[in-house]
Amino acid sequence: MGNCCSDVGGGMAAVSGAASSAATGNQNDAVDMYLRSHGIHGLFSQIELSFSATSLRDRDVFSKSDPMVAVYIKERDGAINEVFRTEVVLNSLTPTWIAKYTITYHFEVVQNLLFKVFDVDTQYHNVEMKMLKLEEQQSLGEACCTLSEIVTKPNRSLTLDLIRREESVSSTHSQHCGKLTVHAEECFSSKSTADIILRCIGLESKDLFSKSDPFLVISKLVERGISIPVCKTEVLKNDHNPTWKPVFLNIQQVGSKDSPLVIECFNFNSNGKHDLIGKVQKSLADLEKLHLGREGENLYLPTLVGHNYENKILNSKLLVDKFSETVQHTFLDYLAGGFELNFMVAIDFTASNGNPRLPDSLHYIDPSGRLNAYQKAIYEVGEVLQFYDADKRYPAWGFGARPIDGPVSHCFNLNGSSNYCEVQGIQGIMMAYTSALLNVSLAGPTLFGHVINRASGVACDSLSTGAKKYFVLLIITDGVITDLQETKDALVKASDLPLSILIVGVGGADFKEMEILDADKGERLESTTGCIASRDIVQFVPFRDVQSGEISMVGALLAELPTQFLTYMRRRDIKPST
Amino acid sequence: METKSRTLEITILSAEDLRIHNKSVKKNAFVVVQTDSFNSKTTKMNGKGGSSPSWNDKLVMDMPMHTRFVTLQVKCKSLGGRDKTIGLVGIPVTDFIGGYSPETCLQFLSYRLRDPKGLKNGILNVSIRLKEPLQACSSQAAVASGLGIPIDGRNDFGVVTGIPICSGYQFTSFFR
Repeated sequence: MGNCCSDVGGGMAAVSGAASSAATGNQNDAVDMYLRSHGIHGLFSQIELSFSATSLRDRDVFSKSDPMVAVYIKERDGAINEVFRTEVVLNSLTPTWIAKYTITYHFEVVQNLLFKVFDVDTQYHNVEMKMLKLEEQQSLGEACCTLSEIVTKPNRSLTLDLIRREESVSSTHSQHCGKLTVHAEECFSSKSTADIILRCIGLESKDLFSKSDPFLVISKLVERGISIPVCKTEVLKNDHNPTWKPVFLNIQQVGSKDSPLVIECFNFNSNGKHDLIGKVQKSLADLEKLHLGREGENLYLPTLVGHNYENKILNSKLLVDKFSETVQHTFLDYLAGGFELNFMVAIDFTASNGNPRLPDSLHYIDPSGRLNAYQKAIYEVGEVLQFYDADKRYPAWGFGARPIDGPVSHCFNLNGSSNYCEVQGIQGIMMAYTSALLNVSLAGPTLFGHVINRASGVACDSLSTGAKKYFVLLIITDGVITDLQETKDALVKASDLPLSILIVGVGGADFKEMEILDADKGERLESTTGCIASRDIVQFVPFRDVQSGEISMVGALLAELPTQFLTYMRRRDIKPST
Repeated sequence: METKSRTLEITILSAEDLRIHNKSVKKNAFVVVQTDSFNSKTTKMNGKGGSSPSWNDKLVMDMPMHTRFVTLQVKCKSLGGRDKTIGLVGIPVTDFIGGYSPETCLQFLSYRLRDPKGLKNGILNVSIRLKEPLQACSSQAAVASGLGIPIDGRNDFGVVTGIPICSGYQFTSFFR
């Protein structure tokens, strides 16, 4: 049985078409809702892939090849599913296909794509694309890459060599047959958002004993005079000269700046039947003129005169107190502008992990090749982030152990060197990790402060050289930290740097105390000197919590990263291109 | 030549959760920034903000070389004409000089406000930038003003933020 009364409070709240600080920037709220309900919380964005090729092989006898492209997605379990086919371009060895493939870009997932180019025989030319059996066509070559490789290129185009696999036994000999260029474009044409403050004066009273409770509904006019509501302000009680809170409208949502909009002022009634006080028809460009001219526009009310409706002009006016247009750059814009995400790793070598030679230790290297929790965490996170780092050199540290000749170190270079801390590639991290296990003896206690300060130093050095880098530190630990206050101090100092910290808790410890560091789950961090973290840079995920279900550990960990990156850039007004 | 003072650009962004006499502040809050007894500037008043007002007011002022703290006081205008202090904080100059970020870079900082009795009362968000980069001669001035022996070999010049203690208060109330 439902509620007896409606949610009046909810009915009075403002409903906006565009989020004021949209990090996702999607143009389709339904898609947003769908993806979020499936547990996908990270940054996702619609991308259109377009294809062109050069130097294709000539397979036809009397004319050139008639190529087409088929796109496949390689799932994590190895299955390859076809998702798209372009049209056939006749007689060309350097085709540019028109059909574009729309794919949702997920930051926190590695999306493997496979492209196969086929030469379609003349007899099939009139067959519908979907009905074509690709096995019967001649393959001109194939290529594969990940979606992140494409979007991180400066002009968002990736050129791949097509490789043709021979069906014969000597399949080690693969021939190069041309190049395929894949180009990515983000799907919305306009990223401009208009930030408007609207105000009315001289409204008339519609209620018997009190003043009106006005609110505005902004709708866009589509053909045949039908209006579709785009956003609604909050209800202000008992006010004949209301000023509503700012309204954010995505310009693409309403069409364009010149699209006609109807702004209606209603009087709120808790029975749901709101009386129209007056309305006005203006486009966004008109509203901007009203703002600049500081004039108001009179509302009109369609009133019944005889059998017709006439527009009676009222004395009430609509004024625009603020009209500002901002362009919201998206995460992909920054990537295309040359920004990098630099990956750094810190591994817990405290004794609570257990003796690495024993199979029940968290650091046990299984000879059968099964990855331990630390290796899994490094691999899964590194696998996603590696594409965003140009030189693939990652600083790697360990903490809480005693290197062969020395006291306990809370931040030692994983590669064993005393001069530099970087290793090459994810493989480099794995190798340094396994060799470090042999060369250090586990000790304790678990302190994060030193590692965070070290990472902050790296970020700071890069800031002073003006590099377009954002740093991501992954800390993998098995236990609760013992220096909570020093860690908080280090985090507060680091909160103003281009740095995000991801913490993965492995093993069976109770990580409740660690959740304090993640401001999502608690309050803003405060240092001993009364300084407070200016933004939340920590994301903490216990490894075991997310083993089942659709949300992967990597997803939960990386979900906030693009938002933290964008918050840092937008606050400082750093634009993607110089 | 040694510079006598530096130019400080401080933008008071916003505050959160301000209370006076245990009730949320309604309106008319403003902030007074002071670098020393001669240099003080005030932001505009925020009429409607309530307990989380935002000012976004940029103030440019001189900061003499010997300044150790920049004091920020959040006040509100009361009917009687006398301004009430809601909370105050002293930002140690070492928080934005000689720290991680290069000084001429814009730095965003947030601080815990404490009311005149020493209790926690909200958060203040500011952004700070120094106009001129630190020159060699001024670092000498900084060294000269440090007294005593650094503890534990650290070179912080030992500036800390003290919390005033008022007699008659429960001890536990500070550590909330």
